[in-house]
Amino acid sequence: MKKLSKKTVVIVGGGLAAGLVSRQLTAQGIDVLVLERGVDHREGAEAQLPSQRDELRWDVRQGLIQNWARETYTARHSSAETAVPMRWIEAFLPGEGIGGAGNHWNGHTWRWGEHEPRLRSYYLERYGKDAVPAHMPLQDWGVNYAEMEPYHELFEKLFGLSGRAGNIAGLRQPGGNPFEAPRRSEYPQKPLEATEAGLIFEAAATKMGYHPFPIPAANSSGAYTNPDGQKLGACQYCGHCERFICEAQAKASPQQLLYPMLRQRKGFEIRTDAHVLGVDYDRRTQRATGVRYLDLKTGLSYEQPAEVVVLAAFTMSNTKLLLTGGIGQPYDPATRKGVVGKNFCYQVNGGVDIFMKDRVFNPFMATGCTGIAIDDFNNDNFDHRGLGFLGGSIIAANQFGGRPIKSRRVPPGTPAWGTAWKKANADWYNHAMSLSILGSCYPDHDNYLSLDPQHTDAFGQPLVRMTFDFRRNEQRMADYTGHKMLDIAQAIGGDALGPLNVQVSPFDARRYQSTHITGGTVMGADPHTSVVSPHLQHWDAQNLFVVGASVYDHNSSYNPTGPLAALALRLGDDLLRYVKSPGRL
Amino acid sequence: MLQTYSNRLLLSVVCLAAGAGLGLRDAQAQDVQKGRKVFEQCAACHSAQAHNGVGPSLKGIIGRQAGTAPGFHYSHAMKKFGKNWDASTLDAYLANPQAVVPGNVMPFSGLPSAEDRANLVAYLGTLK
Repeated sequence: MKKLSKKTVVIVGGGLAAGLVSRQLTAQGIDVLVLERGVDHREGAEAQLPSQRDELRWDVRQGLIQNWARETYTARHSSAETAVPMRWIEAFLPGEGIGGAGNHWNGHTWRWGEHEPRLRSYYLERYGKDAVPAHMPLQDWGVNYAEMEPYHELFEKLFGLSGRAGNIAGLRQPGGNPFEAPRRSEYPQKPLEATEAGLIFEAAATKMGYHPFPIPAANSSGAYTNPDGQKLGACQYCGHCERFICEAQAKASPQQLLYPMLRQRKGFEIRTDAHVLGVDYDRRTQRATGVRYLDLKTGLSYEQPAEVVVLAAFTMSNTKLLLTGGIGQPYDPATRKGVVGKNFCYQVNGGVDIFMKDRVFNPFMATGCTGIAIDDFNNDNFDHRGLGFLGGSIIAANQFGGRPIKSRRVPPGTPAWGTAWKKANADWYNHAMSLSILGSCYPDHDNYLSLDPQHTDAFGQPLVRMTFDFRRNEQRMADYTGHKMLDIAQAIGGDALGPLNVQVSPFDARRYQSTHITGGTVMGADPHTSVVSPHLQHWDAQNLFVVGASVYDHNSSYNPTGPLAALALRLGDDLLRYVKSPGRL
Repeated sequence: MLQTYSNRLLLSVVCLAAGAGLGLRDAQAQDVQKGRKVFEQCAACHSAQAHNGVGPSLKGIIGRQAGTAPGFHYSHAMKKFGKNWDASTLDAYLANPQAVVPGNVMPFSGLPSAEDRANLVAYLGTLK
C-alpha cells in the first residue's frame, strides 16, 4: 500500500456536507482533500437531455444510487432474529458521485423545530419527569437552535431557497408557517408556484382552522445569484428531481453550486473513484492518523495521512467506519452501554389518494418540492397529554412529477392488471391527487446499527446490520396523524378516496417510504451517551470529526438536510479554529 | 396590433444590430427590463455570457444562424433548421418550439404571451 503525502484535512465522502465544510476551510487557505467513491456526473447521460428524463434508468433501476451488488446492508426487526442481506433497497437512497445524495434529492429544506436540538429537556420541562419513556434514548445535542441559526441563514442563501417566512424574529408572517423556528429574514426567493392539488389542500385546511404554507424548497423559483456568485435559473417544473440530476441550474445541488467553485480554489482537491476502506486510529495517542482507500479505477490501495479526518459519508458509512476502525465503544442493546450505532431511526411515512373527476391536476408539472403543508400536528404543536406518544407529522399535498412508469393512482377496487386497470389509469391519471404524512421517528433502545457477523461486501468488509422496526411510539403517532390527514381528505371529498396507507410494523426496506435515516454516531454533551461532542469532535479521537444525519439523536418529521447543512458550515468554522490550535473544542 | 408591435421591435433590433442603440426610447428600454425578467425562465439552461450550459449561449443570438453556437451539441432537428434568428423567427419559435423546429430537444413548451415574447426578444437583442 502506497503512502501518500500528508494533507491537513481529509474528508470522506464528496456530498453536501463535505462541500460545505470545504467551502469554509478553503476560503481561509486550509488545504482539503475530499475522497469520493463515485464519479463526476456532470458530463454523463444522467446530466444531459434527453437521457436525463429516463425514468427507467435513473428511477426504477436506481442509476444514481449505491450499487447494491457491491455494498448493501443486512436487516432484521429485533436482536433475537438473524439479519439477512438486502438485494435491493427502496427505503433509502445513498448517492454515489460528486454531490452524493444531494444530486438526486427532492429539494425539501427545513429548519427543524426550535426545540429539536434539546428535545429531551424540552419534553421533560413541558410534560414532567416521566415524559420520555425509559426505552426512548432521546438526548440533547449540546447546541441550541440560536447557535445554529446564522448557519441556517447562510445555507439558505447559498442554495437560494424558495419559500415564505412564517416567523421573522418572533413576529408571525401571513401565509408562512406559524410554527417554524424564528428566522432573521425572509427566504431568499419567493415560493414555487402552487399546484391545483396544493390549492385544494390549502382551501380545505384553512377552512378547518389549520395553517397551510408552501414547503421551503431548494428548487429555484426564479433567477438567483448566491453569495459565492454561483447562479440558479427558474425551475421549469419538469418533474424529474428525486432520483435525477437536474440537468439545468434549477435544483440547488452541491455539484452545481459548491464543487465547480471549490475546484477553482487553491488548496482544494477531490479524488473520485476513491473508496475509503478504513480510518487508521492510534489508540495510544487517541488520534486518527489518516485513511486507507482503494482507487476503483486501478485497484491500487493508498494510505492517506491527515492532520484532521472528517467523516462526511452516508449515515451508514459514517457508522461503519467507526465500527471497523474500533473507534469508540459499539452500542450493546443488552446492557444499553456503548454508543456507536445507537439511535438509528427511520422516518415515518403515509398517504391517501383522492380522486376528483372534475378537477385537472397535470401531475407531470412539478418540482421535487411543489407542496403545501400544515404543521398543526407536527412536533409538539399540539397537546400530547393523554395521547400515548411523542412527536408528530407534516401533513402535505405534494406533487413530485407524474412520470409514466410509477405514477399510477387508481381508485380502490380497480383490478391490478388487464383492460380495466389500463382504462382506470387513463381515466384517473389527470384527476387524482394525494395527501401524505411525513412523521418523526424517536429512538428506541432496540433500534441500532452494528456490523453483521456473517455477510461481507465486494471488498470483503462486514456489512452494516440494521436492527429496526417501528415501535409503539411511532405506530401510535402514525395512526393519530394519519387520521388527521384522512379527516382533511374526507373534507376535500371527491369521487373516491384511496385507503389510509400509513407505515406499520414490520418495517420493510424494499418499500419506498421517506428515504430518511438518522443516527449511529450521535452528538451530545455526555461522552457516555454520545459519539461526538456538540462540536462534532469524536470523544475518543480529538482530530476526528463526524458530520451528517448520523449525528442526530432522533429523526425529525422534517427532511434532514437543513440542520445537516447548518452543522456542516459550523463544523467548517470550528475546524478553522482546530487547525490553528488543535485541542478539545 | 401584434404585427405593428413586432415590426417596431424588429426595427429596434435592427438598429441595435447596426450599432445605433443610443436612440432607444424609454418605452423600449422598459421592454428590455421586462424581457430580462422573462429571461429568468431561460436562465437555468441558457447563459447570457459566452459559455454554453444545458442550452447554447444566447450571447449574439440575434443574427446568428440556428444551430451554430460554437461548442454546443445540437439536435439534428436544430442543425437542419437553417434559418437565422431574428425577431420574427424567435417570436415564432418561442411561441411553440416544437411546431417551428419539430424534434428539437429544448424541454420548454413555449411562452403563450406575445408581450412576454416581444420583451424577451428585445432583451436578447442586447446580448452582444
